[in-house]
Amino acid sequence: MTRIEFMQGNAASAEGALAAGCRFFGGYPITPSTEVAELMARKMPKLGGVFVQMEDEIASIAAVIGAAWTGKKAMTATSGPGFSLMLENIGFAIMTETPLVIVNVQRGGPSTGQPTMSAQGDMLQCRFGSHGDMAILALAPDSVQEMYDLTVKAFNLAERFRCPAFLMADEIIGHMRERIDVPDRVEVVDRKPFVPGRLPFEADDDRVPGFPTFGQGHHTHVTGLTHDARGYPVTTDPAMHDALVRRLVGKVEDARREIADYRVTNPDAEVVFICYGAPARTVRQLVADRPDDGIGVLRLRLVWPFPEHALAEFPNARAFVVPEQNLGQIAREVERHVRVPVIPVSKLGGELHTPDELARVYEEVRAR
Amino acid sequence: MTFTDWLRADRLPHIWCSGCSNGTILNCTLAAVEAEGWDRDRTVFVSGIGCSSRAPGYVATDSLHTTHGRALAFATGVKLAEPSLNVVVFTGDGDLAAIGGNHFIHACRRNVDMTVVCMNNLIYGMTGGQGSPTTPLGALSTTTPYGASEPAFDLVALAVAAGANHVARWTAYHVKELEKAVKTGLETPGLSFIEVRAGCPTNYGRKNRIREVTDMADHFRTRSMLKTKYDRLVAEGKPVPADAIVVGEFVRRANPAMGVAP
Amino acid sequence: MKLVIDENRCKGCNLCTQVCPYRIFSPGARANRKGILVPVLDRPERCTNCRLQALYGRTLCGVCQLTCPDQAIGWVSERPYEPVRIEVEY
Ligand SMILES: Cc1ncc(C[n+]2csc(CCOP(=O)(O)OP(=O)(O)O)c2C)c(N)n1
Ligand code: SF4
Ligand code: SF4
Ligand code: SF4
Ligand SMILES: [Mg+2]
Repeated sequence: MTRIEFMQGNAASAEGALAAGCRFFGGYPITPSTEVAELMARKMPKLGGVFVQMEDEIASIAAVIGAAWTGKKAMTATSGPGFSLMLENIGFAIMTETPLVIVNVQRGGPSTGQPTMSAQGDMLQCRFGSHGDMAILALAPDSVQEMYDLTVKAFNLAERFRCPAFLMADEIIGHMRERIDVPDRVEVVDRKPFVPGRLPFEADDDRVPGFPTFGQGHHTHVTGLTHDARGYPVTTDPAMHDALVRRLVGKVEDARREIADYRVTNPDAEVVFICYGAPARTVRQLVADRPDDGIGVLRLRLVWPFPEHALAEFPNARAFVVPEQNLGQIAREVERHVRVPVIPVSKLGGELHTPDELARVYEEVRAR
Repeated sequence: MTFTDWLRADRLPHIWCSGCSNGTILNCTLAAVEAEGWDRDRTVFVSGIGCSSRAPGYVATDSLHTTHGRALAFATGVKLAEPSLNVVVFTGDGDLAAIGGNHFIHACRRNVDMTVVCMNNLIYGMTGGQGSPTTPLGALSTTTPYGASEPAFDLVALAVAAGANHVARWTAYHVKELEKAVKTGLETPGLSFIEVRAGCPTNYGRKNRIREVTDMADHFRTRSMLKTKYDRLVAEGKPVPADAIVVGEFVRRANPAMGVAP
Repeated sequence: MKLVIDENRCKGCNLCTQVCPYRIFSPGARANRKGILVPVLDRPERCTNCRLQALYGRTLCGVCQLTCPDQAIGWVSERPYEPVRIEVEY
């Protein structure tokens, strides 16, 4: 059963988080994500959860990590400047295998940039922004419905892999209001429990260890230093560091096929659009405007780990066109995996590509 | 049980230098939680980065060794998410008052129910002896080779002004008093802040003519002045030595606090 | 009870030599296996805790143990426990 509502994207994300079991929110106001925090402030106490407005985004993510270790599902929401401040502790969450969700409603950068305008400029920052080698999970919603659905999914992935998951939204989707079907129940994944007698960071075949929740007598030491399976720091053993980092990266990257989440339209197409987030809406319009052209579309819902195998769903592709609200961040990733031309269609400044703009590029590419 | 039951014996000896006060302060804190009868299963130790912040790694409870300066923000998350857990934070002067200064005043303002023990050795120990926000005027460090020229923070005054419910200062020489102060902190709802003047023989003592570990203990003993005496001297308009370390309890109050277990 | 220093943990800082009211610890003169001058004990049976721990059922004094930054000082029980009369010098 579902309930039909008319909702703002940011509100849908907060509702999705609560449905997924989020019971701790720590945040700091920043446009265009603030509505997530405001809704959490209203609803969390009624559900027995905790909302806390921290002194900055560094503290926000820190509190979220602390809460996660007590067994809570926890999240924060932010935008570019705040996201930049979180990066060090995102690395800490990766290293300590702390499940959590960060909603980044992207706005124009660098720096304070365009607080009220849409962008997708943090797609590489979320992937590579913290120092060291790492893997993360990143989802990109293209509708209010997906703000809800993919927030739920972000929690489920974060819990399963014990890794930060990002909802990489943008101002357009975050602030738009549209119809949404709110389900009565959502599928919820919980972190794997710790089995007493094992070592706290001893992984199973899926390379994910059970979670030794604080307060249950496991006496776990959690550190951002390179550690052994007991959680104890071992910082000068090259093999230990190598094995740990490869496990942390591998547990996510090696699952890329299984967890891939994308939508394919017209797999026989010769010209294929690759899109995610708000620009996917323009691509949808273009395809609808030209029903006879059989324009191919690969729409990514899960952007990281990048589903490179999905590119093979278009065996006739002569070119991939990638409209993004950045200077070609994901286009660059596509380029790594294909031999045909990859054409970024960058649009900065906050406005969506128009169908006409994409049509012009399409005509040009088709004529090649 | 004694406080030694709280140690992760499999991790000893620890990494601290010979004569480093951190080990003493760890002992006194553990003696306090033991005397308080806290449950090892329900107690969490949190820290940032620094020599001092390695302390939770030697405690046989759940422990969270986080990022530089952020311990109090992590601890706030732990305590607000699960108020039934007891939370103790170990931090250093650089961790708490430089990079973590903002979290420090806000944790005091929120008055989150936890006990914060700052091992204030007046120096950045772990990175090899650079000046910190508590390095006294004139003191030598690798980044103040001609003597520190910046005024230092008074951590106790800061905590009192920011709203902590219990604030005390002792030194690593005053082991019994320190244990008692920490115990009072554990019992006080709200944030308890205990500054402990600590010796870093390797990176502070050596440069500042407190060469022997025992000299540092003598320094603490001879320079310390009880707060009651200090207050009396001030009231009488009498001079107070510039290098006096005023020790004792500075505040104990029952202002509204967060994260207090119901 | 018997006062002992764990040679594996002691780093020879000599703080114990400074704090014991009975001056039971004095600076060591000979380096051990790790090159540490572990303090030597002078008639440790004078220690308050050695004498009275069993009677009171808790640690008495214990200042050296709290002070020792290396968690090297402890007490082991001597079995069978025999009460002995000690002349305490003040
Ligand atoms: C973000 C960041 N900046 C700098 C450092 C390097 N660093 C490690 S410990 C430390 C200073 C610690 O000083 P203090 O908190 O006084 O601890 P102590 O070692 O003296 O106990 C610094 C600057 C770091 N780890 N992280
Ligand atoms: S450098 Fe200083 S603070 Fe660090 S362990 Fe050595 S003595 Fe202690
Ligand atoms: S105080 Fe401890 S470490 Fe220092 S000399 Fe005595 S026994 Fe050894
Ligand atoms: S417990 Fe007290 S009396 Fe006994 S050895 Fe230690 S300091 Fe001396
Ligand atoms: Mg320091």
